[in-house]
Amino acid sequence: MQMDVDTLIRVAAFTGGGIAMGFGAIGAAIGEGYTAAQANVAVSRNPSLSGDLFKNMLVGQAVAESASIFALVIAILLLFLDVPGHSKLTAAALFGAGLCIGFGAIGSGIGSGFPGGQCCMGIARQPAVVSKMTTNMLIGSAVCQTPAIFSMVVALMLLFMDFSKLPLFPTWAALIGAGVSTGLAAIGSGYGGGLAAGASCEGLARQPEAGSNLTTTMLVGQAVAQTPSIFGLLISFILIFKTFPESTSLSAAMALLSAGICMGFGGIGPGIGNGMAAEGAVRWVARNIKSAGELMRIMLVGQAVSQSTSIYAMVISLVLIFVL
Amino acid sequence: MAIEGVDIVKAAAFLGAGISMGLGAIGPGVGEGMVAAKACEAIGKNPKEAGLLTRTMLVGQAVSESTGIYSLVIALLLLFVV
Amino acid sequence: MEDLGKIHQLIIHLGGYDITLNLEVILMTWIVIGMLTLFGYLATRRAGLVPRQFQVLGEIFVGVFFKITEDALDKERAEKYGPLVVALFMFLMLSNWLGIIPHLEEPTKDLNTPFALGIMGFVIAHYAGIRSKGFKAYINEYFQPMFFMAPLNIIGELSKIVSISFRLFGNIMGGAIIILVVSHLTYSIVLPPLLNAFFGLFVGTIQAFVFTMLTVVYISVQVK
Repeated sequence: MQMDVDTLIRVAAFTGGGIAMGFGAIGAAIGEGYTAAQANVAVSRNPSLSGDLFKNMLVGQAVAESASIFALVIAILLLFLDVPGHSKLTAAALFGAGLCIGFGAIGSGIGSGFPGGQCCMGIARQPAVVSKMTTNMLIGSAVCQTPAIFSMVVALMLLFMDFSKLPLFPTWAALIGAGVSTGLAAIGSGYGGGLAAGASCEGLARQPEAGSNLTTTMLVGQAVAQTPSIFGLLISFILIFKTFPESTSLSAAMALLSAGICMGFGGIGPGIGNGMAAEGAVRWVARNIKSAGELMRIMLVGQAVSQSTSIYAMVISLVLIFVL
Repeated sequence: MAIEGVDIVKAAAFLGAGISMGLGAIGPGVGEGMVAAKACEAIGKNPKEAGLLTRTMLVGQAVSESTGIYSLVIALLLLFVV
Repeated sequence: MEDLGKIHQLIIHLGGYDITLNLEVILMTWIVIGMLTLFGYLATRRAGLVPRQFQVLGEIFVGVFFKITEDALDKERAEKYGPLVVALFMFLMLSNWLGIIPHLEEPTKDLNTPFALGIMGFVIAHYAGIRSKGFKAYINEYFQPMFFMAPLNIIGELSKIVSISFRLFGNIMGGAIIILVVSHLTYSIVLPPLLNAFFGLFVGTIQAFVFTMLTVVYISVQVK
């Protein structure tokens, strides 16, 4: 069956749009559900605060939703945009963009539900610090969105750059690999950042005077937990900007696709693990504020060591791109 | 596009290397994160033993990282030897 | 966008070998070294019991990192390795911060710099290990828990160099690329200063600290 280029591009755009919104809805839905569930528990514990809790739940959910809104934006662009360039490579780029934001929105969506939920629980426990809790929650879940924003940046570049002058083989694999790399790697970092933010909201309710210490530990922990997604972004940019010599062999294409898959999956675990380490540190800063420095230090060392597998994945990806 | 046998084998080896290292990195990453979280908990409970706890954490992480290093070795073998 | 992968190189032909020098990185490294030397001079000039502003800063760095080294190793070894640790942190932090000044670039953005520092830390750690345990006990450790695990243990040790140097490189390079691309997408409105503050100052400091801590940790693992 012969397909002309126009049909191929439209097929890729529609499939990509479907994947973007379908996968992109998973995370935010889970995250918002978690927030609502915790808010319900909080209302049953302290019904007199239902107004404050309702307001906070809505604010938390609105932030958690932004990841899936990014996915919606990309999906709409995929469906209706008149894309630049007109070759089979454009089809690959559009499909890659859909994969990228679809996967990338999962982690941040789930993750930013945690601070919202813990914030509601915390308000029920400690109504005196409502405004402090809300600020902390907003900071935490905003930083949580960073991996999803990375995915959106890559998706936008895949959408708006003109690839039509590059050789079709093996660049098609590089473009899809670029989408997969940032998209998958963002899952772990988004989820992990959410764990840390949730723990800081819980800790703030327990120990309001530890506020600044908690926020600092949370931000440092989240910044380090984002490293795997930054690695994913690095591999994506190399795959997008490097010009690959034309080659019709299957292995050249598979090497590039495999580089994206390797870095993408390799970023998931360390991202979640780093988030767990940050969660542990933040939780215990609230319980033992005197050892805050000690906890921060061991958190950084623990996170750095647990990142090493994502670095091995990055090395394998770089070897696949540059050496082979 | 003619695809030869050698080419398919090489393509499969590259893909296998990526999947090996990519999926192999998930477990150790999460596991070492758990170790670090528990170490933070232990230091929160007993800050005096920070040095000992850090060393214990590092040894535990090194052991749980070994599966990640096996994946790395397999990936490198697939890339350069096979 | 095109200047992403461009590196100014000077290639010297020397008796059949090509020596490649990355001029920009060398220049930037010398700028950092010059700034640190100036800081050292200002901090120690007219040192007194009542410290002046540069002396206070220097005392904070030295105090904090000697304490950390002492916790990880012991008092005697802290005297020995403390200066290295403080210098490493100050060099890395200033290197990571350098990119926020227009026209200057982070020397750590080039893989060679972190890699060299990583190899340095590795060699120092293993030298310290041999010194404190003796050569036989040091070699014996590679054959634990079984003799046939030796190759994997060696790869595990070597991969520490890779992980420590690629972590720094990936973070700094990733940050620089994000700043470049986002500035390009938004036509340099509003966002670049914020991104510079986040990736340059915040992430740069954290990664310098992580690199320094890991070097200390590697030494302490080898020594104990």
